[in-house]
Amino acid sequence: MIKVVTNNDLSEAKNAAAAVIDFNATWCGPCKMLGPVLEKISDEMAGQAAFYGVDVDENSDLAEEFSVMSIPTIVILKNGEVVAQRLGFAPEPILTEWLKSNL
Amino acid sequence: MACAEHRKGSDMERYDIAIIGTGPAGLEAAITAKIRGKKILLVGNADLSTKVAKAHAIDNYLGLPHIAGADLAAAYQKHLDSMDIQITQDRITAVYAMGDYYALQGAGTPESGMTAYEASAVILATGVVAGKTLPGEERFLGRGVSYCATCDAALYRGKTAVVIGYGSREEAEAEFLSEVADKVYYVPVYKEEVKLNDRIEIIRKKPVEIREEKLEQGRKMSVLFEGEEAPSLLVDGVFVLREAVSPGQLVPGLETSGSHVVTDRSMACSLPGCLACGDITGTPYQYIKSAGEGNVAALSAAAYLDMKRRGEA
Repeated sequence: MIKVVTNNDLSEAKNAAAAVIDFNATWCGPCKMLGPVLEKISDEMAGQAAFYGVDVDENSDLAEEFSVMSIPTIVILKNGEVVAQRLGFAPEPILTEWLKSNL
Repeated sequence: MACAEHRKGSDMERYDIAIIGTGPAGLEAAITAKIRGKKILLVGNADLSTKVAKAHAIDNYLGLPHIAGADLAAAYQKHLDSMDIQITQDRITAVYAMGDYYALQGAGTPESGMTAYEASAVILATGVVAGKTLPGEERFLGRGVSYCATCDAALYRGKTAVVIGYGSREEAEAEFLSEVADKVYYVPVYKEEVKLNDRIEIIRKKPVEIREEKLEQGRKMSVLFEGEEAPSLLVDGVFVLREAVSPGQLVPGLETSGSHVVTDRSMACSLPGCLACGDITGTPYQYIKSAGEGNVAALSAAAYLDMKRRGEA
């Protein structure tokens, strides 16, 4: 499951041991395609990391804070620290491997 | 809307094989796939391949000695007509591997807007992309360089950006960006007249490099133009928009080698159900080689679909 972040409030993700944050927007084609892929992965990896979705239109402060210049961008946080970041759509096996190698 | 005819209610029509490209590779793939009884989507140019049509004469095409390109193209068209194969005129901008299927995104027309298609397998026959990237472009991708203005416009509220456009259709993206950004510059890398709203500043210079500038007020991007010793344009972001995209950009996650796609002898790419044929797979760039690979790719796609149906893929 991917939790939708509102009001620029990412405190829960920052306090989690491991969190995956998907920066996206409703008007971005690759973001829309990435959504269901990440949703599936979040179910398969439940317990290993908490997944969050950040609409950059509604949470522009967070986009600024993480220096997100392009979307979709996925950021991995461990105890609030950024450990990895990647840009763009990726097929499920590639994304799963990347997440596992960084978690 | 052009995509409406591909939709059934809310569920999109699912093709067996989507073939992208209407050169010899794509056309042969379409013909072979049709013979195998597959439901195909052939996307490309209704005028087939301009490269073939303009060829003076081809001397090594089996059975057709010293044939003019225009005559070969006419023969292709006749072959398509005889098999009732239609071309969907569109430009595919992205192919997403969704796991069970491929989602194709097309540029559509100004009237229709972006289009969308779905297929169980996909054959890439888009030819080889000539253009080179600008120095700095790949290095700063996602960190100040973007390929998608409509995606990233939201991040440029109150910021400045430059759009380097390689074709007049990119002007719409600059317009879109200017609705959000503080200031937009437009650098046309083509000769045609540019029509933009007057809030966009047009720069008629040739871009040669994209740089990162670490200034006291923060990090900026800059574009160096031909004849300049130091960049004169400072912005928050640089959008590079080209007509033709590299295979790795077209299909995110695909294994590539330079401007080519890595395939095996069955024309299979690194993603299951994705095949490639023709110039996109590498040299030699020969029409008969492209057509031959198109034949192999279609048969491999058919085999993949059969395996998938049996639950083995």
